[in-house]
Order: sequence, then structure tokens, then C-alpha cells
Amino acid sequence: MADQELARLLPREAVQLGLAPTDRDTAVSRAGQALVDLGNVEPGYIETMHEREAMVSSFVGAGVAIPHGTDEGRAMVRRAGLSIQQYPDGIDWEGQTAHLAIGIAAAEGEHMTVMSRLAEVLLDADTAERLHTTDSVDEVLEILLGPDD
Amino acid sequence: MTTIAASDVKQIIVACEAGMGSSVLLTNQLAARLKPYGVQVSHSPVNRLSDDTGDVVLCHAGLASRAQQAAPGTPVIAFNLFMGDPAFDQLEANLRDGGTIGG
Repeated sequence: MADQELARLLPREAVQLGLAPTDRDTAVSRAGQALVDLGNVEPGYIETMHEREAMVSSFVGAGVAIPHGTDEGRAMVRRAGLSIQQYPDGIDWEGQTAHLAIGIAAAEGEHMTVMSRLAEVLLDADTAERLHTTDSVDEVLEILLGPDD
Repeated sequence: MTTIAASDVKQIIVACEAGMGSSVLLTNQLAARLKPYGVQVSHSPVNRLSDDTGDVVLCHAGLASRAQQAAPGTPVIAFNLFMGDPAFDQLEANLRDGGTIGG
């Protein structure tokens, strides 16, 4: 099993693969609703994700967007965690094409290890490409959390 | 506009709205890249910035005016892309060659 603490940040049920294309607003809402359903945030957090998106697009490159709340939204975080929605055909994200939306809920720096791995993954085009298209939740977890031992 | 000599830069702050998403990614990437120049990189929500936070502030163009307001005496470098923005190459070149940053 991957590190227990990391596994709590990104449980299997937080990963949704093979979703049909949609628009960015729906994708942000979906990323937020997943965080609500996982018990990471209160429903009001979703609105702050849209506010954040309106200020600056959360598209970070390599086909990945990382929608998350505002500084004020932190108060609605119950427990740090991530949610992942994969759109293999890509969706328009402010003129860029996103294949992966990674919803983030964090009050402090609890998610630094995962973010640090994600930063590396985004610099590696082949690995990023695997995240865009894989139909295996195990593969996503292995890429972002480290291999099972 | 505020400037600073590259040799005086010890601490770079990546500012974003909440400091939990894109700025964290960028901080991780830049920290590794700028380590050889003895520069530390950390991140902060833009509304918690002050002139005491760091020597140079990096932030997305959409937040640059808020960042400059929060830290009026600190050079603010704006970028548009979280990965591969030319501003990062320019910053690294300045740190390496001892240029002036900001302005």
C-alpha cells in the first residue's frame, strides 16, 4: 500500500476516469462536489472554487487544471484531500485543453507531498500523458502517491 | 518601479490567491531550479504578503496589481503560464549572471 497519510489525501473513490467532455464551469463544480461527497469540504467551498477560477485560471500546463478555493474558502475545509476527474477527450479550459481536473482542499500544507509529486509529473510529458488516458485507477494512484510496496 | 540586485536576492515568494494550488506547484519546481544560486523559494496567499515576506514576488499577471499593493517596496514579477513562462528563464538568467531584477 502507498503511504497511509497520502492514501487518505487521495482515496480510490476520489478518482473518476473516462468522463465525457463538458464545460469548465461544470468541471469545477464536479471537482468541488466530489470533495463535498468525500467529506473534505462544506458545500460552500464550491462557490469559492468558481471565484478563484474567475480571478486566475487554474490550468497549470501539461493538460492539467487544479481547481481549488480561495483563501477565505479555507475555513470550509474539513479535512485536506484531492479529487480527480479525467476527461480523455479534453475540455476547453480558458482556451487551453485540460484532460485532468484535480480538485484541491487544503487548510494548511497537508498536501505538500502530493503537490511535490504532481510538480514533477507535470514536467514529464510521458507521465502526464498516461494520466490523461489511463483507464486504471491503480495507475493514477501509483503515479501520484508512489508505487505500492 | 522597485528593483533589486540579483546578488541580494535570498528569498523569492510565489504568491497566489489561496496559496494551496498553483503557487505550491510552481514553488516546488522553482525551488529545485534556483537552489544552485542560493535562493530559497516559498509561497504565500497574496493578501498575506508584505514587504517583509521576501526579496522578490512572483505571481500570475491577474494578481500582480494586488501583490504590488500588498508589498509596494518589493519587485513583483508577473507571469502568464505556470509552466514554461519565459519570466522564469529570465529570472534564472538574472540570478546566474548577476543582473537587476524588477523594473
